[in-house]
Amino acid sequence: MDVQLKRGLLEVCVLAVIRNQPSYGYKIIKDMKPYVEISESTLYTILKRLEDSDMLIVKTVEHNSRLRKYYHITSRGLKRIEEFKSYWPDMVAMYEFIVREDNKQ
Amino acid sequence: MTKSEFLQQLREKMKGLPKTDIEDRVNFYSEMIDDRIEEGLSEEEAVRDIGNVDEIVTKQIDDTSLTKIVTEKVKPKRRLKAWEIVLIILGFPLWFPLLMFILTMLLVFYIIWWSAVIVLWSIEGSLIMSVFAAIVNMFAFTFRGELLSGFGYFGLSLLTAGLSIFLFMGCVAVTKATFQLMKKVTLKIKKSIIGEEN
Repeated sequence: MDVQLKRGLLEVCVLAVIRNQPSYGYKIIKDMKPYVEISESTLYTILKRLEDSDMLIVKTVEHNSRLRKYYHITSRGLKRIEEFKSYWPDMVAMYEFIVREDNKQ
Repeated sequence: MTKSEFLQQLREKMKGLPKTDIEDRVNFYSEMIDDRIEEGLSEEEAVRDIGNVDEIVTKQIDDTSLTKIVTEKVKPKRRLKAWEIVLIILGFPLWFPLLMFILTMLLVFYIIWWSAVIVLWSIEGSLIMSVFAAIVNMFAFTFRGELLSGFGYFGLSLLTAGLSIFLFMGCVAVTKATFQLMKKVTLKIKKSIIGEEN
């Protein structure tokens, strides 16, 4: 799969996971697992990029006498999800077109 | 491998990258391992689950920009002594041209490589033009009644069309390979800058 495309999609997936409530690294991976496999190092890169572009903020919370980072979505992040949802029907239409043309063979 | 061994290895192999980046990533993996242990995995299993240290380090190097790596490299680790500063200033006529030489060589290599790719695309462009020119000539000669020449140009247009399709695939492959090569070379350069300290 196209690396850039996949990266962009994974970013939205991560935002979707923390959309309703803040979450932490391991839980994000677990929540995505039934649908998308994502490695720790990939998640790290994505979280960094989302943080740098103000789509999420990080809050460190004490948990069982150690620190755990929680990722909170920002209004920018919410907007990113909405944007993705708005242009996706076009993508689906293109996909259907490609499959249909391919089946004609 | 225990958690502390894993993190220690990670720290050592990332030496040369910006300190804050190293700590940030180490903390991230530390949290990941702790969360797994909390869920019932043994320390060993949790570490194994995280994966290979080298892969993680390569990814981090890939993510860090070349300028950041160079800045980290040239940043003095301690306050420079007076004689060291004097040496740097006196040595300027020596180290500066050398540095410039290396940078220029890299730039030249880069430009030459891309020029070759551009030349290839230009040949492709001219081939496509020749196809059209041959077709125009084919009609021109045929209408003038010179059927043999017309036929000759028909053959030429087929030949150039075939060649241009063939070369087009080559051009695409070369361009793609170049992008990949540049990525690999950048990673190598980054690694060699960092690697000197290990």
